[in-house]
Amino acid sequence: MGSVKIEHLNKQFNGNTALEDVNLEIQEGEFFALLGPSGCGKTTTMRCVAGFETPTSGSIFIGDRNVNQIPANQRNCGMVFQSYALFPHLNVFENVAYSLNIRRFYEGGFGTKLSTLAHLLNRRLGKVDRATEQKVRDALDFVELGHLADRLPGQLSGGQQQRVALARALVMEPAVLLMDEPLSNLDKKLRNVMRVTIRQIQQKVGITTIFVTHDQEEAMSMADRVAVMHGGRLVQVDTPTALYSNPANKFVADFVGSSNILNGTVKGVNDSGETLIEIGDNRFLRSTYPTNKKDVEVIIRPESIRLLTSEKAADDENILDGTIELSTYLGPTIRYDVKVGELRFEVDTVFEAGSPILPSGTRVKLQIDPNRVVAL
Amino acid sequence: MKRLTAKLNGLTVLKWLIYLFFFVFLLVPLFSILLVSFTGQPVNIFGSFTSQKIFDSTIKKLSNISVEAYTSIFSEGNSYFAALMNSLKLGTGVAVLVTVIVLPIAYAFARTKMPFKSFFAALCTIPLIMPTFISSHAFVLMFGKTGWVTQLYHSFGGEGVIFDVQSMLGIVLVQVFFFFPYALWPMVAAFKICDVTLEEASQNLGAKSWYTFLRVTLPLAVPGIVSSMLLIFTVSFSDFGTPIILAPKELNLIVVESYREIAGFFNWAGSAVLTVIMLLVAAFFFWLQRLVIKGREYGTISGKPTKQKLNDHKGTIAGLTIYTFLVMLVPILALGSIFLSSIATTWGHHALPDGYTMSHYKTIFSTSGKNIWNSMVLAAGTLVLSVVISTFVSYFVVRRGSGGLDFVSSIPLIVPGIALGIALIQTFNTAPIHLTGTALLLIIAYTIRRMPYMIRSTMSSMMAIRKDIEEAAVSLGASSLIAAITVIGPLMLPGIAAGAILVFVTVIKETSISILLAPTEWAPMSLAVFQNLLRGEYYTACAMAILIIVIVIILQALAKKITKDQLY
Repeated sequence: MGSVKIEHLNKQFNGNTALEDVNLEIQEGEFFALLGPSGCGKTTTMRCVAGFETPTSGSIFIGDRNVNQIPANQRNCGMVFQSYALFPHLNVFENVAYSLNIRRFYEGGFGTKLSTLAHLLNRRLGKVDRATEQKVRDALDFVELGHLADRLPGQLSGGQQQRVALARALVMEPAVLLMDEPLSNLDKKLRNVMRVTIRQIQQKVGITTIFVTHDQEEAMSMADRVAVMHGGRLVQVDTPTALYSNPANKFVADFVGSSNILNGTVKGVNDSGETLIEIGDNRFLRSTYPTNKKDVEVIIRPESIRLLTSEKAADDENILDGTIELSTYLGPTIRYDVKVGELRFEVDTVFEAGSPILPSGTRVKLQIDPNRVVAL
Repeated sequence: MKRLTAKLNGLTVLKWLIYLFFFVFLLVPLFSILLVSFTGQPVNIFGSFTSQKIFDSTIKKLSNISVEAYTSIFSEGNSYFAALMNSLKLGTGVAVLVTVIVLPIAYAFARTKMPFKSFFAALCTIPLIMPTFISSHAFVLMFGKTGWVTQLYHSFGGEGVIFDVQSMLGIVLVQVFFFFPYALWPMVAAFKICDVTLEEASQNLGAKSWYTFLRVTLPLAVPGIVSSMLLIFTVSFSDFGTPIILAPKELNLIVVESYREIAGFFNWAGSAVLTVIMLLVAAFFFWLQRLVIKGREYGTISGKPTKQKLNDHKGTIAGLTIYTFLVMLVPILALGSIFLSSIATTWGHHALPDGYTMSHYKTIFSTSGKNIWNSMVLAAGTLVLSVVISTFVSYFVVRRGSGGLDFVSSIPLIVPGIALGIALIQTFNTAPIHLTGTALLLIIAYTIRRMPYMIRSTMSSMMAIRKDIEEAAVSLGASSLIAAITVIGPLMLPGIAAGAILVFVTVIKETSISILLAPTEWAPMSLAVFQNLLRGEYYTACAMAILIIVIVIILQALAKKITKDQLY
């Protein structure tokens, strides 16, 4: 088990910069997600940790060990590939046993070496020792696949292949578990199941895990901390909740969940220390978010706006008048597109059985909590 | 120092061993033949590094370098010059004739609703499984003075022979009818990729179909046609089997001439010059062919699969079918002639043999059993060596982007068999590496000669294996070498097996290398056939030839089955 530390990591491919000064510290036992659009460098970062890419500069530590000079096969990083990369000619048992056999091959005497190699080439030659057998059985039981040990990977469903890949990586008791978009080949329903499964397994084993994904929902729901990457750089490293409520910039706000993003001008600070921001048409919003800029981007999550239909609410409480343009029923929530003057707001409200869905054209008031108005 | 040892892992050592193999058995021999062509005397390159005396004599020889051997070729009446010219004429003639003859067949395959396409395609393999010197003998059996076609001709009132088989014309005809499949499939492909919409546009504008064919279809297919023409030229130019059987004494051809210089007169200088010229010509035409198809390979693959409108004009189809059948009939009759001869008591007085017997087969199994055994041993040895080298070469080329190995391993494509044989004999006929006359050198020569084909087969199965499978093995603790052996190797097995069988087949068929390099105690079947032909033991030669052909057919069918049965 080990922590991972990345210092000033740079990587260039034929003069193109893929990573620029990436610094990360991942705690022991942490479930850490690398999140970003394709081409942002998240996979490259992981491959540098795994040892499949050589950094142009910078250092990588696994535990206390600087692994820069250590070849990939000696880094003790378990890896789960996007395509699972199961060995198609070996059955499930042999796939999982592979790393243990390899270890036996390297550590054993000449006779052991020979018999292990023969066994790796043809399962009928030589035998696995009892310790290996037990470990593989345990690993397969752990992912609930003990009954499929004799199948070939081609005979398994996507989710089962995924679990074999996981068992194969875990059985070697790696210092770090690396997962490269492991859920992207599964259908939506299975993906949600596997999310929970992977998280549970990770918690049970307590292994440091780096998880690469482009799906913000995946990252937010599984990880202890998330690093958002963009253009080869780290944009923000935070817990999912902090990332959501306090995005470091417009990119993060936009990438993580949906947001209303407006341009505003800071007009001053009121008595209670709140920033007063004009968002056009003589409309003002109060924000508890401190800023020292004049022109700001105002970010408001759709679910942090309250929709009022009564006329009673006082005018000065961060309330805007608007008209519903479109109502979209999403199951648990309803999304209203509300027009306020020239501005448009997306507002999410919880759907309650019995209460009606407001039709287009309904005049409404939008109440926005100053605590949830982010000004950047 | 630490970096050096870190770099010296198992795979790197292997890579350098493969380079060493090509260096010692391909590059040095070719270089040495080049030196000899200038010095006019044998040069012992490896000896120069082990013995001071040889080194001194080598230096002395090198100081006598002159281009005289080359300049004298262009003087009047030089036999080498005549040989070169004749070979160029032969290659050109065959290339043009093949193109003209195959063009309608290719069109029929690609663009018409000709019936029996798959049957014809199967017939096309007959020319390819027959070694050319056997096909040449078949032509003698058919068109020779006592050939059965000649007999038929006489019975219809003809006199003499239809044409003289032992002549340039005979050689040309054998090569045309036995090399045409090499041109057929590339040409079919060329016709298929032409954009049909252009043809439809032409017809839409009122053009007749023959006009469309001449002005639109044909020009579009020209690069493919030219490329296959150049290929045929190279094949014909380097072919040894046909001329050695059919070339009359007064007809000089460069392959025969160089064989006679080395095997008959031990004229090192002469054979070296001829080899260098052969190599240059073959390389030039190979380069030309590459130039023509350059940048076109992608077009064929990424081209939108347009729906082909097939020509279904009844008259055209009937004509093309009959024509195709007639062309394919010649190799079939040739094969039939060899077979009849192999079971004939005597043949030559009438169109059919005088009687039938199995005694020739008994003879070859009793007296030539050793040759069959030799062929098997040599082919098996070549197979093992080829498999090991080509598997790792394709690994380095596909996975590690080793352009150097890619280049070196494709050099044999341009080296005619006879040239490779001469180069190897010259380099390894004395100490310190004395290999001439051993089975080992024979195996190495076969391996090098067939290497590009074997690599093509292993490379494509290597490309089919995803890179992350290998990375998975590495992340699970295996070094690159162990990952290659335990994961990549087993996954490539079907491709390797198919390639290996084809190597086995070509070794059994191989003529030029066997004739030049095989010592008596290691004479393979093909050499036995050749020697029997020279001794006039035609019937046993034919029986052995049939045996070779049967082995080849069985093995090729096996290879086809293996590649078809995808294991995973």
